[in-house]
Amino acid sequence: MISIPMALLITATLGSVFAGLTCSIAGVFVVRLNMASIGFCMSHAAFAGAAFGVLIEIDPLLTAMLFSSIAAVLLSPVASRAKLSTDVVIGIIFSLMIALAFIFLNLSPGEAASGSALRILWGSIFAVSEFDVLYLAILSVAIISFVILFYKEILSLLFNRKLAEAAGINTYVFMLVIVFMTGLAVSFSLKLVGGLLVYALIINPTSTAYQYFWDFRKIMIFSPLIGVASCIAGFTFSLETDFPIGASIVIVSAALLTVSIVISPKRRTAKGRA
Amino acid sequence: MRAEQMRMEDETIRLERVSTVYEGERIPAIREVDISVHGGDFVCIVGPNGSGKTTLLETINGILRYTSGHGSVFGMEITSNGSAIRKRIGYVIQNFEIDPLSPFLCKNVVMSGRTGKIGLLRFPEADDWDAVRESMIRVGMERWWSRPIGKLSGGEFQKILIARALAQEPDVYLLDEPYANLDIRSRHEISELLTEIHVAGPTLLMVSHDVSSIPSSCTHIIVMDRGSIVGSGSATEVIESGVIDKALGMRRPNL
Ligand SMILES: Nc1ncnc2c1ncn2[C@@H]1O[C@H](COP(=O)(O)OP(=O)(O)OP(=O)(O)O)[C@@H](O)[C@H]1O
Ligand SMILES: [Mg+2]
Repeated sequence: MISIPMALLITATLGSVFAGLTCSIAGVFVVRLNMASIGFCMSHAAFAGAAFGVLIEIDPLLTAMLFSSIAAVLLSPVASRAKLSTDVVIGIIFSLMIALAFIFLNLSPGEAASGSALRILWGSIFAVSEFDVLYLAILSVAIISFVILFYKEILSLLFNRKLAEAAGINTYVFMLVIVFMTGLAVSFSLKLVGGLLVYALIINPTSTAYQYFWDFRKIMIFSPLIGVASCIAGFTFSLETDFPIGASIVIVSAALLTVSIVISPKRRTAKGRA
Repeated sequence: MRAEQMRMEDETIRLERVSTVYEGERIPAIREVDISVHGGDFVCIVGPNGSGKTTLLETINGILRYTSGHGSVFGMEITSNGSAIRKRIGYVIQNFEIDPLSPFLCKNVVMSGRTGKIGLLRFPEADDWDAVRESMIRVGMERWWSRPIGKLSGGEFQKILIARALAQEPDVYLLDEPYANLDIRSRHEISELLTEIHVAGPTLLMVSHDVSSIPSSCTHIIVMDRGSIVGSGSATEVIESGVIDKALGMRRPNL
């Protein structure tokens, strides 16, 4: 157990709460809309972007946002041609982004830079400023409002995009907002969780909630709760063990998901499954 | 002259030489299609697999953009008024596959048909839920109110999709193979339901590749083959003309 100043502890705790919340709500969309490949690319593009920020010595948050937005524009489902198979995505984009990130980090001069480079890699509570927490808080409010105000449109879209379009919903705009919010959630959470791991925070909590609930409203409520719980538990775990916070969060959320898949009440009663 | 004008006004769907080419394709999936459907018509579209029936329906509700010609629904040009038109059209989609773990309940799926109609920044109210309940009763699915959608059988799911369109209370129904997965009794029930809807006023366009399943209340038939309309007219005319048999490749047994 390392001793940490109170102010930092509060910043890190709030950061964990908001990162867990935003990423796991984004995850509900990413999973239901089969955007896993796009989410994956955006996360790693954000990572390469953050590394680029370290290299040119500006706030990695900005470059992470820039890179993930570029990835989103290039791959967006909105552009509808992005029917990329997961193999292609992992084979090309993931390796390319990681390679870029490592080149940027390698080029970054000096001791201090290599410290911040490592933080970008697996996250650190020391990398999170009050401003980062503020941005995450604003994003949390925005995402929650989006979900509440447009709940019926979201449900319709996530059930089936074509039927939602056929019912008169402008699905293009909704997809755009969702992709954009996912990019922000990834970019804002990156410093805390780390570029290599932020994707897990998107996928794991919602996948966990999926193991228990048939009702979309419950998925929408429990995914962020599980996300927040994973982040807080991961943070505590990292204080105890001195592991990097990102790694601890991912271990906790992966463990929750694994246990849930094993005991899943839903899988046991689902049609056509053992 | 005056009578002609009246007819024009009550023309619900009008396509003039409309062709639709899928992105990346060269051959149009529907080609130079002319259609005129009036309010209250019950049109059956028949044709073999791949003849462009689904493409035609999705061109009418604007989910697919037509690439040439001119199309209007409710007197509005389709491409530029897409979502206004779609709010008034109920669509029952063909061959819908559902993930067995899908986290949606029947009542929510049926309600989702009304989403566009209710409008942005409004929440479903008591009348909306009444409409949902009423629709589920009409397809005989009220006992599955809170049933997870992934646990339904194929036929039950098809009925929920029909209820979803009913709940929208649209002026036009586009039904793509509504009998898919239904057993004979359910076909019969849905066929009666479609007749009831027809009698109540809305316009229906129903796709089927099975001539024997055409409800007797159907007023017009359109026969499609390879993207073109090869026959159309009143139901009795078309059936007697033999064009359906030709398009569907059916041969009278030579005895
Ligand atoms: N997304 C698509 N991209 C390219 N071509 C398509 C697409 N969807 C359909 N087509 C082609 O357009 C033609 C018409 O297809 P459509 O789905 O409208 O036929 P259909 O009459 O509904 O057939 P079925 O009875 O099998 O449902 C077919 O040749 C098909 O291969
Ligand atoms: Mg079809």
